[in-house]
Amino acid sequence: MSDHVDGPRTAADPSVDLTDLYAFTSPSDQTRTVLIANVFPFAGDAALFSNVVNYDLVIRPAVVTGIGNAASFKAQDPEIRFSFQFDVLNANVEDQQQAGICRLPDGRTLTVAVGNESGSITPDGRFRIFAGLRSDPFYIGWAPGEGLKSLPNLLEEDNVLSIVVEFETASVLNVTGTTLFGVIAETTPQAVLSRQLIPPPPRFDWIGRPEQTNFRLNGIAGATDLRDLWNQETPFEVSIDLIPIFKDRLIQSLKLWDMRDGKADWDLSALAASANVFLDDFLLFDPTKPISDTSHLEIEKSTIGGRPYETGGGRTLNANAIDILVTWLVNRDTGPFLQSVTEATKPGRATFPYVESPNVIPIDVTRSIDLPVTADVAWETVGQFGGQWLPMVAHIAVAGEGIGQIREIRTVDGKIIVERLTGLDDGLRTLSYELVSGIPANRYFGTLQVTPKAQGCEVTWSVSYRPDGQGYMVVNAIVSRLIVNGMESLRARFGTKQ
Amino acid sequence: MMAPPGISGELPVATAGIIAAINLNSSLRRSWRSLELWPNKPGTADRIVDEEQYRVQFYGDVTALDRLVALEYRISSEALKSADICLIAARIASTVHRFSEATNYIRNAEALGASDVLCEQLALSIDQAIGRNLDNVLALRQRIARTNQSIQNLVSLGALLADLGEFDDADRAYRKAIQNYRDVSPFALAGVCFRLGLLWGETAFPRQSDQAAHWYTRAISYFPNYSHARVHLAELHLSAGRLDEAQALLDPIAASNDPEVAWRLAEIHSAKDDAEAATRHLEAARIAFNDAIHRHELAFADHGAEFYLSAGSDFARARNLASINLANRPTLRAFELAYAAAKACEDENYCARLRSEAEANWKHIKAYRTSVFGSGGT
Repeated sequence: MSDHVDGPRTAADPSVDLTDLYAFTSPSDQTRTVLIANVFPFAGDAALFSNVVNYDLVIRPAVVTGIGNAASFKAQDPEIRFSFQFDVLNANVEDQQQAGICRLPDGRTLTVAVGNESGSITPDGRFRIFAGLRSDPFYIGWAPGEGLKSLPNLLEEDNVLSIVVEFETASVLNVTGTTLFGVIAETTPQAVLSRQLIPPPPRFDWIGRPEQTNFRLNGIAGATDLRDLWNQETPFEVSIDLIPIFKDRLIQSLKLWDMRDGKADWDLSALAASANVFLDDFLLFDPTKPISDTSHLEIEKSTIGGRPYETGGGRTLNANAIDILVTWLVNRDTGPFLQSVTEATKPGRATFPYVESPNVIPIDVTRSIDLPVTADVAWETVGQFGGQWLPMVAHIAVAGEGIGQIREIRTVDGKIIVERLTGLDDGLRTLSYELVSGIPANRYFGTLQVTPKAQGCEVTWSVSYRPDGQGYMVVNAIVSRLIVNGMESLRARFGTKQ
Repeated sequence: MMAPPGISGELPVATAGIIAAINLNSSLRRSWRSLELWPNKPGTADRIVDEEQYRVQFYGDVTALDRLVALEYRISSEALKSADICLIAARIASTVHRFSEATNYIRNAEALGASDVLCEQLALSIDQAIGRNLDNVLALRQRIARTNQSIQNLVSLGALLADLGEFDDADRAYRKAIQNYRDVSPFALAGVCFRLGLLWGETAFPRQSDQAAHWYTRAISYFPNYSHARVHLAELHLSAGRLDEAQALLDPIAASNDPEVAWRLAEIHSAKDDAEAATRHLEAARIAFNDAIHRHELAFADHGAEFYLSAGSDFARARNLASINLANRPTLRAFELAYAAAKACEDENYCARLRSEAEANWKHIKAYRTSVFGSGGT
């Protein structure tokens, strides 16, 4: 899963586990480059960054140093680094927001409040940053260990911590020289204490292209797990001594990938070339050319194919990176090799901070009441989608007929709530509806059910929703009041069961 | 963070405990809700087991055991078809000390093609927990630790060495685990510091209370919510007459559902001659132990026995629990506990039988000499 949980060691430290890296030009301003590093797979709703880790994005100019079967890319100086560090919280202060700083390549620092969607921007506007919990934009519907069976998105509804950097391309990257760049993200320990007997590792994790560790360096039955070893390597400068080991593993892995469809599409020379390119594991992008949802890996593929690249490569939030990669690995782009998943839970958006708000777990509210009347009698009231039995309703207007009909509820305090009928079963005495507008919630679904009992009946009203734009308490108060008042009105209408 | 005596260089830096706590608890909430809403999503159950085990280990959270058992029940129908689910069930059963069931799950997992490495790891932990084939376990643990000096491998080795009475070797393994640690999770470091505290405060002979206190303090500094570390450090303060220090450790976690917290608070208040508070906390401890034993008898049999042998004042119950514990995991420590309970009940015949069995099973290990059955016993 891109780089999620990419080694035994990182599995124990989710706050240092990089999941993805993205590089693209801003859809809303092509003169600006956007880099996004995500960390902490399956992050909880209150997830925080570690206070002892550097979260860095590092760019270097890159040059093509070989084409065709000799394809290779080399990173050069200077390094352009964005380095984030985050504070610890004060145990005695409630509801505090984690704060952080970013050290910019020009030496300035910019503070950021974690979770503040506006982020922070330098006075000259050259740099804008964001850090906080976001919906995981990665999606994958393959489980490679299961014969490439297609599955639902394995990361559906998951969240990550995102670090977003947006900057003025021309002044930061100085694209008058080279226009090709390589970028990596890494998590490293903060300043080493001089008295530590054994220094900490140089880094905890790093990422260039997606799936280097989980797809390309892993997955060979019985083979030694090289992921932790790879994660300790210096990005842009993999140890010369270890290159043969990693290259050998990549070639073995690429051979297996090639044969997943039962036919060989790669000759050995091209496989070796592909392995060489993957050894130089940095995400290539050219901000002077178009970067789109389909341009990911185009630079590498074109160079291996012996032709100049045409796009800016990179990786957008909505790129189907898995299909692009798997199709390339399995059949060398001779035909699509597709997973069934085609987008993330919440696709990326065109405006800052580009990664969507975090997925909120649905909240369920259910209330029941026993009534001293038969189920049929209660259903005559409750089962009317346009029925005006709720006390807070001043007026209901219904449009349409049958399933899909819309009701507009005007409440006594002047609010308008619009709902759509999604189900009605007179036999089972259930009515289902979904919210269209009027309550600050999304994926809002309600069900009313009347169940006969030995004496009288039971009416159950259930609502499942996710707060949208308002705090949980605010929305919960609205929904709970709606339901409680509704139940009370039924009690008043039909009396209480003795 | 300054090093305790005998270790040079600073202790490793870790993510602040407050951040780790927030991350753990919010991840756990989300994992459970994910399981409810998307039960077929792979990996969720595994994460839940990891996270709930942290709750057990660091918060003393008895309800974490309830949730794990509920998860096991939920997945048990699938356990016959999936190696992964068998392993999850094995981990849960082992956590609540249902070792024979855990072993059955592991066998099922093997039959379904589970990884040999994972099955061996779990089986090894069970053997160690119940004191079975310890020579073999030691050899394997040493081999594993030579190949991979991860904190987990070194701590497992250290714990076994401590059980065998090789206290200095255990100390070395634990210290190496700390010195080799190259990550930022405070949980791992807090855990090994606690182990060192246990080693020198309760296992080794002679006891070294100052060193134990140092390590418990380090454990708490890594993870302030560490319930067991607070309880054990409070016990040391209580023994030394430092009642205010002891109480200051436990008052912040008085609402914990860890029965030992109420138990020790009762002892502290008793030592302070505050009979009302002592009685209140003792009653709370009694209820908590009853409840925990009712729900997870095997997991709480040993601590329950210790409680009823002391503040709980029910020697017959202590003896019963100690016998259950001994039958489940016949370690030397379990024999000692059963012996203490039998002695309290003045059952000399049973004492003699226990002494004979302990000698037959454990005389060959160093820890036997300093046990109640060896030269240090009466």
